[in-house]
Amino acid sequence: MQGPKKTLSIFSFSETQLRFLKYCAVFFIPVIIVYAVLELLVLDLPINYKFYGNHLNTHSKEIEVMALGSSQVKCGFNPALSNKSAINFASTSQHHNEDFNILKGTIDRFPKLKTVVLEVSSNHLELPHHANDYWKNSIYLKYYNVNAFERPTWAKDKLIFLSNTRFFSHKLMNFYFYKTDNSELNEFGFDTNNYDGAFKKLNYDENEIANHKFKIITREDLSIFKKNTAYLFEMMDYLEKQNLNVIIINVPIYKTYAHKRNPNIVHRRDSVLNVIKNKYSNVILLNKETDTVQFAVRDFLNENHLNPDGAKKFTALVNRKLDSLN
Amino acid sequence: MIVASSLVDYFAALALKGTENNNRQKIFLYGSIFWNLGVLFLFKYYNFFIDEFALLFNMQEGEYAFSTLNLILPVGLSFYTFQTMSYTIDVFKKRIEPTRNLLNFLCFVSFFPQLVAGPIEKASNLLPQFSNKRSFDSAQVKEGLRQILWGLFKKMVIADNAAYIVNMVYASPEDYGSLSLLYASVLFFFQIYGDFSGYSDIAIGTAKLFGFRLSKNFNIPYLAKSVTAFWQRWHITLTRWFTDYVYFPIIQKNLRSNIRRNIAVFLTMGLIGLWHGADWTFVIFGGFQGLLIIVERTPLSTNRKSSLYHKALIPDFMVPVLSLIFITLSCLLFRSQNIDELWIILKRITSFIPSESLASLIDKRFLLCVVIMITLEVLTRFKDFPLVQLDNYINRPTRWLLYYFFIFIIFLYAGPKEDFIYFQF
Repeated sequence: MQGPKKTLSIFSFSETQLRFLKYCAVFFIPVIIVYAVLELLVLDLPINYKFYGNHLNTHSKEIEVMALGSSQVKCGFNPALSNKSAINFASTSQHHNEDFNILKGTIDRFPKLKTVVLEVSSNHLELPHHANDYWKNSIYLKYYNVNAFERPTWAKDKLIFLSNTRFFSHKLMNFYFYKTDNSELNEFGFDTNNYDGAFKKLNYDENEIANHKFKIITREDLSIFKKNTAYLFEMMDYLEKQNLNVIIINVPIYKTYAHKRNPNIVHRRDSVLNVIKNKYSNVILLNKETDTVQFAVRDFLNENHLNPDGAKKFTALVNRKLDSLN
Repeated sequence: MIVASSLVDYFAALALKGTENNNRQKIFLYGSIFWNLGVLFLFKYYNFFIDEFALLFNMQEGEYAFSTLNLILPVGLSFYTFQTMSYTIDVFKKRIEPTRNLLNFLCFVSFFPQLVAGPIEKASNLLPQFSNKRSFDSAQVKEGLRQILWGLFKKMVIADNAAYIVNMVYASPEDYGSLSLLYASVLFFFQIYGDFSGYSDIAIGTAKLFGFRLSKNFNIPYLAKSVTAFWQRWHITLTRWFTDYVYFPIIQKNLRSNIRRNIAVFLTMGLIGLWHGADWTFVIFGGFQGLLIIVERTPLSTNRKSSLYHKALIPDFMVPVLSLIFITLSCLLFRSQNIDELWIILKRITSFIPSESLASLIDKRFLLCVVIMITLEVLTRFKDFPLVQLDNYINRPTRWLLYYFFIFIIFLYAGPKEDFIYFQF
């Protein structure tokens, strides 16, 4: 039975409604508090994005080189070893549309920016771009102040834990509970202790590694290829208009991974890179994907990522290219 | 589009009421149906038919007079079109009286909880509720909130986590072995179930907050003992719509004709398939369901029992399992982007290719959540949803602990954000 109205405003509630609202408030307050604690704990986690963001905020006036790409570049390019003042925005599964959004969203903050190091791996042209509501867009918004949502943003877009609860729950458990997170991020967000991969577990034994199973995507998709290639050319046009040099890189991969790649995908990617090289005078290529001379088994974290030792060698190669541009 | 469709049916229904002349009534009815199906065809199926026509005659782009259109599919088109169309048909059949209240009718068509993905409501159920006086009912609001919580659990924990694995495998099926593909296909069933029934629960729960009652859309479909029973438990409001407006009108002239009945089943299920999207995989999906239902209904000459579920051949406990196998096979059709991909997946599944990556796809915590969902749903199978009417048998502190448990599970194990699958329809 409903009680009498308290007031005559639109916020007038019956006794039943008031009691219900009171219970709701009491019920949801702990939920909000727990969420707030989780959000704060996540913000306190030492994750590479946070370091990228800090470096962006504190050194943007000096930075001359910006690296963009996926986890291969994240693990393969150490800005601390770069000849020029550099920032590495690469992160796991980051595709060209995210790269481009980061570039466009931060370029005004880099008055001295001269070179963009851009990854075009064999997967880049035949894997679909992420949608506009990709969870990392919250990360870019929070730490880089880059709006990759391609729409006006709301307060919840900056909530990091909410952006991917599964991922961050896992991170929180590993860091605070199991204490298994042994990463040592330098001021550039590069993990200098990133050795604990499949190859270390196999004691860098090449026979064991030859039999080791790993994940690789070999699916061809010509419609995605056309779309992504057009997008890449759009990026190249933009970079040319901005008078920026571009080093297109292919980070070394281990021979077992190289053998399992789909040759059609690799061939198409290489053809596109050739066209880009001939069309744009500001572009140079650094293709070290199958370099087995300079990169040995101990330089790899796993089949398709370098460890910090490999990154040291690869960054040196990038340095040579950077020097050649001057 | 939604306003235009609503106005067409609103005035068509009033015009039907305004004349006693049967021919005129038919003109108004067919005019309304023509408009509704025309809009649906233009936005959803036009490009598909043009492309298939060109393919049939081996024509290249530019060689034929009709070009494909670059139209964005209006959100919820398939749902509200069916809702408004059924209203006009029901008025024509004199099952309901047309409403003169335009605002109520517009609210009925655009009622936000169920606008984008159902349940597809009949006017006789939902429309009168807009005229009813509603007051705050804390018991109903609590039921609504509980149903939303249950829906969120199914969507964010079950569907989104399943989607993570399914998307990974289906992004490159050539790189996975038979068991991995089979596992992903079974998970796709749970993904789509969690996704769509989760959405329905959220929609029904949200409607309850405003004092509205929507129809039940799912009834533990994985317990179905036949494909026929499955469709009485899965997307119930869609099946009911097609049964009332396609199946019955076809068979009503000759109820005893088995051939007519089988054609009606096949056509109805084919259309249900096509309703889901303009692709051959959906048409085959519907046709396959139709065939299975026809086989189920065809009696053996010796003992008049169903040929598919002949009790002497299949033990009772295996019947739901067999149905689930057929449904999972159908899911392959539903998930594959095109016939080529379907063929690749089927070939790989039946080639017994070793699945080296299967272990990496199995997430024990997620599977535990699936078990929790199934257990709770089976234990409370005679109720609308597992958390219903908890007040009757659990005290408040225990209830709150249970709610916190589900919120905690959602916080901890929610998968990466995925759009609702049925939003695309």
